[in-house]
Amino acid sequence: MTALIPTIETDRLILRAPQAGDFAPFAAFYASDRARFVGGPLTAEGSWRMLAMEIGHWSLKGFGRWIAEDRATGAAVGLIGLFEPEGWPEPEIGWDLFNGFEGHGYATEAALAARDYAYDMLGWTTAISLVKEGNDASAAVARRMGAKPDGVVTHERHGQMHVWRHPAPAETSDGGMEAYA
Amino acid sequence: MPTSAIPVIETNRLVLRGPEPDDYPDFKATFTSYRARFMGGPLNAYEAWMLYAAEIGHWTIRGYGMWMIHDKITDETYGMAGGWKPAQWPEAELAWVIWPGSAGHGFALEATHAARAYFYKTLGWQGAVSYIDPKNLDSIRLAERLGARKDPDAPTIDGNDTVWRHPSPTELDGSQLAHGIDMEIAHYADPLFKPKGYAID
Repeated sequence: MTALIPTIETDRLILRAPQAGDFAPFAAFYASDRARFVGGPLTAEGSWRMLAMEIGHWSLKGFGRWIAEDRATGAAVGLIGLFEPEGWPEPEIGWDLFNGFEGHGYATEAALAARDYAYDMLGWTTAISLVKEGNDASAAVARRMGAKPDGVVTHERHGQMHVWRHPAPAETSDGGMEAYA
Repeated sequence: MPTSAIPVIETNRLVLRGPEPDDYPDFKATFTSYRARFMGGPLNAYEAWMLYAAEIGHWTIRGYGMWMIHDKITDETYGMAGGWKPAQWPEAELAWVIWPGSAGHGFALEATHAARAYFYKTLGWQGAVSYIDPKNLDSIRLAERLGARKDPDAPTIDGNDTVWRHPSPTELDGSQLAHGIDMEIAHYADPLFKPKGYAID
């Protein structure tokens, strides 16, 4: 099985395969306190293994998370896409913005494209996003995407996470553009 | 690097291929077991999956990694062998793991010997080390059979491991040691030969 990772373009971003050159911003984010809601902070070795895992995720599942790159500057702004390691409650749409790229709507823009890909290309009929208690910025992204709270799950490594249920494919046929309004 | 782009190595009895999705259950069985106690385990299912995915991504990031060891005829998997170097590791490691039920047939020796030859001849490595838990006697014996020597001065990963330095390409090439390894592998492959003593990888 080959991991041919597709590229997706949005207004401001390119979603592309994670690669070795992404390690610096990736590790800086996972070393920072901002990563406390997504399993961090991690050592440099832990971040490296995580980056390798994100690439292997594509091979094992046929989908995964992309690096979102600013089309204008080429900067890697975050890790956004589809995630379902073993034991995950359901296929998830996830977003981690790298340090310094918060507050521009990049997570929403990339996650909407990832959701369209999941619904249109992979045939997902539903999707969730998992948000840790206190991660208000992430909950706001879920809300902007039209997702609604749908209970709580407990994971052996990540602990309690709030489930946000995304609108079904039929409910997003307009491409979710109202999210930008 | 897609898994299909990972080089395939054939040896006497084995085929080394990139880690594939179908091989995951075998990997998980070992890494969630007591067998993994010298390799950061036992892991839970989530950790085992994340590590297996990282084994694949390692190839993309470094251009080398760990191969899955298959029987050349039956395709059954026996373990993994190859190179491993996450961030912050002092040197590239030559590493191996054999599923507990497949130990004692010389598969790790045969696979690691071939992996080392690939790294030396094709990738131009000038040497390699193996980081081994000092309690992991089977792996220490394998390192010795591969001609590696304990290097007490080399930096360790975290102080809980010992560093075994492999012979360089020049030291190995055409040496009595290299012939000895080939002979040991040939003996394992020959059903008439029954090694005496404790089963080793």
